[in-house]
Amino acid sequence: MHLTTTRRRPRRTLALATALAGTVLALSACSGGGAAGGGGGNTGDGITVFNGATGNIAENWNPFTPTALQPTLGIIHEPLFYYNLASSDAPEPLLGTEFSWNEDGSQLTVTIREGVEWSDGEPFTTEDVAYNFNLRRETPEFNTSGQTPAAEAISDTQVVLTFDSPASYTQEANTLGNTPMIPQHVWEAKSDPVTDINADPVGTGPYTVGSINAQTYELEANPTYWGGEPKIPTVRYISLANADAASSALLAGEVDWMSSFFPGFEDLIASEPDLAWVNTPALTTSLFTCSNAALGCEGPQTDPAVRQAIYYAVDRDQLNNLAFEKVAELPSPTLLIPGRDDQWVSGEVEATAPSGADVAQATQILEAAGYAKGGDGIYAKGGQRVSLNVQVVSGYSDYIAAIDAMTQQLAAAGIELTSSQVAYNEWSANQQNGTFQLSMDSIGLGASTDPYFTYQPRYATESTVPVGESAGALNNARYSNPVVDAAVAAAGSTDDDAVKAEQYAIIQKEIARDMPYIPLVISSTLTEFNTSRATGWPTEDDLYAFPATWKAWDNGIVLKNLKPAN
Amino acid sequence: MTVTTDPAVVAAELPTGRGPRRRLPALQPKLIAGLVICGGIALFGLVGPWFVGNPNTVDNVGLRGPGGGFLLGTTQSGQDVFAQLAHATRGSLIIGLTVGFLAVALAAFFGVIGAYAGGLVDEGFSLFSNIMLVIPGLPLVIIISSYVQDKSIWLIAIVLALTSWAGGARVMRAVTLSLRNRDYVLASRVAGERTWRILLVEILPNLVPLLASLFVFAIIGAILGEAGLAFIGLGASGSWTWGTMLFWAGNGLALRLGALWWFVPPGLMIALFGAGLAMINFAIDEIIDPKLRNQTRAVKKRWLASRDAKAQQKALEEAR
Amino acid sequence: MRFYLQKIGFYVAALWAALTLNFVLPRLMPGDPVDIMLSKLSARGPVAPETRRSIELMLGVDSDESIFSQYASYLGNVFRGDLGVSVTYFPQTVTDTIAATLPWTIALMGIATIIAFVLGIVLGMLAGWKRGSWLDNLIPVTTMFQSVPYFWLALVLLYIFASVFRIFPTNGGYDVYGTSPGLNWPFISSALYYGTLPALTIVLSSVAGWMLGMRNMMVSTLSEDYILTAEAKGLTPRRIRTMYAARNAVLPSLAGFAITLGFIVAGSIVTEQVFSYPGIGQTLLSAVQNNDYALMQGIFLVITLSVLGANLLVDLLYSVIDPRTRARA
Repeated sequence: MHLTTTRRRPRRTLALATALAGTVLALSACSGGGAAGGGGGNTGDGITVFNGATGNIAENWNPFTPTALQPTLGIIHEPLFYYNLASSDAPEPLLGTEFSWNEDGSQLTVTIREGVEWSDGEPFTTEDVAYNFNLRRETPEFNTSGQTPAAEAISDTQVVLTFDSPASYTQEANTLGNTPMIPQHVWEAKSDPVTDINADPVGTGPYTVGSINAQTYELEANPTYWGGEPKIPTVRYISLANADAASSALLAGEVDWMSSFFPGFEDLIASEPDLAWVNTPALTTSLFTCSNAALGCEGPQTDPAVRQAIYYAVDRDQLNNLAFEKVAELPSPTLLIPGRDDQWVSGEVEATAPSGADVAQATQILEAAGYAKGGDGIYAKGGQRVSLNVQVVSGYSDYIAAIDAMTQQLAAAGIELTSSQVAYNEWSANQQNGTFQLSMDSIGLGASTDPYFTYQPRYATESTVPVGESAGALNNARYSNPVVDAAVAAAGSTDDDAVKAEQYAIIQKEIARDMPYIPLVISSTLTEFNTSRATGWPTEDDLYAFPATWKAWDNGIVLKNLKPAN
Repeated sequence: MTVTTDPAVVAAELPTGRGPRRRLPALQPKLIAGLVICGGIALFGLVGPWFVGNPNTVDNVGLRGPGGGFLLGTTQSGQDVFAQLAHATRGSLIIGLTVGFLAVALAAFFGVIGAYAGGLVDEGFSLFSNIMLVIPGLPLVIIISSYVQDKSIWLIAIVLALTSWAGGARVMRAVTLSLRNRDYVLASRVAGERTWRILLVEILPNLVPLLASLFVFAIIGAILGEAGLAFIGLGASGSWTWGTMLFWAGNGLALRLGALWWFVPPGLMIALFGAGLAMINFAIDEIIDPKLRNQTRAVKKRWLASRDAKAQQKALEEAR
Repeated sequence: MRFYLQKIGFYVAALWAALTLNFVLPRLMPGDPVDIMLSKLSARGPVAPETRRSIELMLGVDSDESIFSQYASYLGNVFRGDLGVSVTYFPQTVTDTIAATLPWTIALMGIATIIAFVLGIVLGMLAGWKRGSWLDNLIPVTTMFQSVPYFWLALVLLYIFASVFRIFPTNGGYDVYGTSPGLNWPFISSALYYGTLPALTIVLSSVAGWMLGMRNMMVSTLSEDYILTAEAKGLTPRRIRTMYAARNAVLPSLAGFAITLGFIVAGSIVTEQVFSYPGIGQTLLSAVQNNDYALMQGIFLVITLSVLGANLLVDLLYSVIDPRTRARA
């Protein structure tokens, strides 16, 4: 059959379709393109922050819930004192001006700042402070430390906090620096404080909530803030899906403050004159080992000689080059941060881990412990080869690149390393239950820089459980050493820095020998900013606060300190 | 997914199973191109890993373009991209073939046998495959992947096969239903042939082109599905496949850093392989539906042209 | 009548099976929502041993009910519309979380799929009508686009059009500075602008499928007798092409389209990851990563209902729009 069609018809239909599509595009591009070319434009004096939030933003300003939006702690609500984790200075007064312990360390007396107002105009009083602690203490869902003190306002300016046991010095940082102050007159009226989202929150902080929806929220400067109205009028928070989106937003000038690690960041940021970055290493990336056979751990890593051999066989320079973008630093075998924590580091252990691989030392340690090299180049003892499996969260490409490098480095020393990349749920479940041999993780931030907050949760027997039960996020290595336990207890029951240093030295000697957590590098905490919008950011010379956008409390200090660039 | 054939059309147009000449696909340029591309890639995946270096070896040279002994440059940690590509080809092809075979086997089993048996078996199989069809595949994959430790290639392949066989089963069932009422099948039944013989000799040969098309679709669907899973971080992350290579390249911001030698090859390989498979699929489509064939059109044109010529000649003669 | 009862009965059975699967699968996942939350908290600040207990109490996950009574109350709650409280976004209810993100996904993916479908059908119709034209040569090109992994194509286009040539925005669903969600033109135009690039990538990577299917069906249909009759009757080619050939050829594609619509939610995860688009796909990923049973169940329910609904629609309507299937049954 011949179907004679003129050529014009199909083309006309096609032309019509294309014209329609083009009009829609042009229409939308025209109206949306009014903003700064290519994307949303911030044309005011405010800044935009990305704090790692991905996806849906659910309004929640309730500081007692773990899912509260991050500005709740530090920007909307403030604590009594500010403990700067980037330095070893004394705590800075915020809502409190002075504090002192009584003789036996069971009572803390705090003097509060006068003339402070809540953002709704009511005065901030000692009654509010007392209400805070008592509410926390009496509501099990809020009592996250288990040791919240009972509080009493003894005068217009002083509050006495009474702890359950004497020598509660270790509770100081948590109580004074980690407890947000909420207004009594607002929270008394709430029917269910546990599930209340605290919309339109009332706090003493430098900013209040302006607007919020599921994709973004904006904070406005608090004109009656006790420290003076912040110079940056608005702060907007957005959510982005991944590091790639974050880096492209930063480079396009759409984000002014963020703390993301992305490969090649140095060159990318150098290409934009308005951008700057600062590195505040604070987390020691380590190989967590399930180290205690007595508590159920299995595998060659239960032998301290193997752990020491790994410590020496790792080439930290290569790890820094290939996996950590050259901004990681050498760790200390004491698991403290060299520089910031120098006053606590005992002279008896080496100051930092070796930067290059010391294969000779590693093999010497293994052979002295009775291991013999097998035909395949891997050491073995009693029929058991030194073959270890390390678990890591799939998607953490820097950790995985490090493991790739370590596999070769350890093979040179006669240790076989295999890896499992698993989802976060599995990884954390394994680590908390002790069903792992090695695990890539980092030692986190405590309530203050006092080494007690590193040693007690990670090394004390009281923080651990046998393999099979969940140890929470604490002593996953199942380390148990009575010497360390005694030293931890002694350090925790005194306020005297000299005594503490002595006890920490004892602990450090033990853990440098046993190494249940094998330190690899102190990984970078990168923070990037746009200096064309605001100035006054923390720099390496002036670390007045920990600059990471996700760090509670410090974020408020940084925002208070910023000024518009022009 | 392309809905290429309405079962009614398919059933009407299948060659009636006699004579090997009609079953073999004619060699046309599209088919040749498709076979060459797929064959080449398969060869690379099969033989490549024996000749290239270790894809996991790190090197202090870091992110470098092609040259200096690395055919396709290196990744961020100095790993050889070409070696990774060879191993990734093997990994992806394994997944593709496994899913292809499993999906076709399951579709054939639940579709053909159920439809032929009829009655309760048919109802049951049909209900089961319909339920599998409506259960959302991606969330199921996400959950199964995060449930099992050590995500190996085999796990991903099995999970992908489990979530992709149901559509094929539906099509197979529709075709078998119409086939089982054909004269020659009824004749075989009356003659007393055993069921398995009927299935194997009378029905299955008719289904071969359809199964082949299903197989090809399943392969490309599996490879793309695995790439998608890898991108959101749920792929076979310990092994090398095109999808995981793309995942690392994406995480390493390869595109933004201009490391096109890392970002482009895996995607290009998937596209080429898919295009090759699609061309093979065209050829299979033309077997199933002869109207699609270019030869049919060419023959027709010649026939019409010759008819025209004859008519003209006739008219001329009459005019004389 | 029996036909319809049978169909509906089957869908009820499928719904029950899906609901049970939605209940069982999340609970098979390793890890515990409280432990995961603890683990995430410990990376950012101090965590005490007692924190676990307080979080447990707050989230209400320490129920001592047996799994069967949990299942029974889950089914009951679903039919009452109570999908529970999310753990990831505590204390927001699952319904609120879904309501905040689902419309974006439906809008973007729905519109993009419709555009891809219409474009593909039109192109396929023209390609099938005019064999050997330049449109036929378009097919291998579009097929290649479909063979490229979607996220790869999306990343490349995003890089080119948003970072290199700053034509489109790099992320987001709308301009968060100047506009706020509501039924106003600035917001809608901003949403259209931000959605253009994601929609474009979806259309590019899926138009080939529709085009190919339509083309093949057109070619088959064009050899039918009634087309020849229409030609003989002297109808214009355009009328034959649209009213006779295309109408019949589009039927299988319509069925496929309805089913594709049902799978929109599941397919949006990758798009939203690449473009940071505020849809439900990201919420699903977060729910999975946090072992958030209630939220996972809620989103799966939405997906299941949409898939089942689309299938039911196709099954019921197909016998209406194509009388030939009725006769066969």
